[in-house]
Amino acid sequence: MYGYSGKILHIDLTTRKTRVESKPEDWYKVYIGGVSMASRLCWENIEVGCDPLAPGNPICIAGGLFAGTSVPVGGKYGMASKSPLTGFIGDSLSGSWFSVALKRAGWDGIVVHGASDEWVSVFVDDDKVEFRNAAPLLGKGTSETEEAIIEEFGDDQVRSASIGPAGEHLVRLANVSNDGRKAGRTGQGAVWGSKKLKALSIRGTHGVRVADPETLLKISYDVMKAAQGPYTQKYRILGTSSNVLNMNKLGLLPTRNYQAGTFEDAELVSGEYLHEHYKAKTIACAQCPIACEQVGHVKEGPYAGAMGHIEYESLYALGPNCGLNDMAAVIKAITNCNEFGLDTMSTGVTISWAMETYERGIFTKEDFKCEKYPDGFEANFGNSEAVVTLTEMIAHREGYMGDLLAEGTRRASARVDQERGTETFKWAMNVKGLEAPGYDARGLKTFALGMAVGVRGGCHNRSAAYDPDIQGEVDRFSVDDTRGEVARETEEYAAVYDTLPICKFIRRCFTGKADRSGAWPAIAQLINATTGWNLEYKDIDLIGERAHTIKKAFNIREGWTRKDDALPYRWHHEPMTLGASAGHVVTKEELEYMKDLYYKAKGWTPDGLIPKEKLIALGMDDVAAEIGV
Amino acid sequence: MRVHVEFLGLARLATGLKELELDLENGATFRDMVRTLGTQYPALIGNVIQPDGETLQHPNRLNHNAKRIVQAHQMDERPSDGDRIIVMSISAGG
Repeated sequence: MYGYSGKILHIDLTTRKTRVESKPEDWYKVYIGGVSMASRLCWENIEVGCDPLAPGNPICIAGGLFAGTSVPVGGKYGMASKSPLTGFIGDSLSGSWFSVALKRAGWDGIVVHGASDEWVSVFVDDDKVEFRNAAPLLGKGTSETEEAIIEEFGDDQVRSASIGPAGEHLVRLANVSNDGRKAGRTGQGAVWGSKKLKALSIRGTHGVRVADPETLLKISYDVMKAAQGPYTQKYRILGTSSNVLNMNKLGLLPTRNYQAGTFEDAELVSGEYLHEHYKAKTIACAQCPIACEQVGHVKEGPYAGAMGHIEYESLYALGPNCGLNDMAAVIKAITNCNEFGLDTMSTGVTISWAMETYERGIFTKEDFKCEKYPDGFEANFGNSEAVVTLTEMIAHREGYMGDLLAEGTRRASARVDQERGTETFKWAMNVKGLEAPGYDARGLKTFALGMAVGVRGGCHNRSAAYDPDIQGEVDRFSVDDTRGEVARETEEYAAVYDTLPICKFIRRCFTGKADRSGAWPAIAQLINATTGWNLEYKDIDLIGERAHTIKKAFNIREGWTRKDDALPYRWHHEPMTLGASAGHVVTKEELEYMKDLYYKAKGWTPDGLIPKEKLIALGMDDVAAEIGV
Repeated sequence: MRVHVEFLGLARLATGLKELELDLENGATFRDMVRTLGTQYPALIGNVIQPDGETLQHPNRLNHNAKRIVQAHQMDERPSDGDRIIVMSISAGG
């Protein structure tokens, strides 16, 4: 087999034993890699119905088909487990040298089972596995942990994925970090913490065997050249953070916990402002010629020394959505999240829920007591120190508020409403328990559907349905009978990239056209040159459909029903008040109508279940036997 | 006719301006407007505006009154006096 080793490594932390599983080539043809393979491994290895923080929930890591090859932006891996936030599939991606090391060590994937009694770090040295005492690493931040491991081995080719204090404290917003990048969403870090797994390190010394190195190198070179030209210029110069002003102008920028879509001080927390005043450098993921990540550095003031990786989603969540207009404080809050191992998006949205709850008089200053502020603090919108302090409290579950917010908006609001007889769920901005992204769905009707039906919840990466809305390909303020198909197409398009996985920012660099006709033939060539297969255009479509289907199947088996495809109360009941999207909501009737269209477009039943014959046609016979109807 | 033009992202970096008032001939189209901008701010050519001087380079877009993106096939439509045009470069992800 080319491009794959054919081997999955299973590591049991309870017994400290390992085993090797061989997979046939046909299995790889269906699941490929990234989030699809990781989700399939989760399907095969989870104890169905288990608590996400129980030993029966495996950590499933799947490498990238192109990791360790010449293919640009192919240095990514996928990770999946049952999400501690949603109770459904939690899948995440990260661009990382960890992915390259995994491949070079001769593994297509790793499944971590069980739970350790003591804190442990696991070292995979090609085909050897060592369990190491992780006690010296406890409490360390994510970059500090990686540096300590490199120092311990005296080898910077030992690549690690690790959790910070947030994961150690089972914070449901915790992520997994590698090379400064994150497998960021759905609370994977808490799953690692529940197993007392602080770090997984890999050293790989083998090459990656591909079927047609000459062709692969030629296509890679052409794509790499294009990736350094105008198609990616914006990413290189400003990164995604330039979306702050774009979304503000469109009335879509989540502001003060999604109470508005326009922030009066957006300029002060924009990508353009970052570029002019705080940008230290740009960095790149593994195998990436684009280098989109903007690093912000605070040189003076109370947050001097903060240095964080700044993306749009981090900026909206911890900036305008918390009412902050102080870029230095936002960089500090992002830096804290990066080092503590917290998802910036879920953390920011959870803090903004607490701030609104405070401003409505339900929380008081005393609820915010902590070691730094023994009498508590005012948690009104715009209070920079409150946001920065809350990131610290959440990561360590410090005090009443730290422990509460560590649960995320859905659980925190349910607890408060039960204890105090309130209705804070009305401003708990999550979808299926995962905090919402930086695009207010009230002004993006197709994306409202894409997010509601999304298998991992409040996410902008798995459904790309905001793109046709924002680009004006459809009317973003209204609903029509095309939207089910548009949502299906955009999520399956995104799933192709997430499965290989390659970064979506490369999508225009194959031919200049980002759509299927522009990208699929080149992607098929890359896959064929790597594996020796003979995939065609239609097969690339199938990659996306299968990836999405296995995740949906996982959710169905865990108890998903149609009513889970829902949106936050606010988006249904409170019209936008300011800006270009003012006056709009997504009515429940609109959403239910679009869900009908979407399920039909997917070939599913009106209840959103998957027919057996559909699953069999996708090569998922065993899945059909379990959940097909 | 006068339109209000705002520059975001790459357009702002190229021009060094956040916004300006742009005078156009009565009946001017969006294409005419882009041509005028390219003439007045040559740094936009190759960065934001295609070398042809009259169409935008991906991922730059014209937004009309914050309500709609002017599509390639709509470049011969006409803005009205007092309209707000945003030159923006939209990207996904983050």
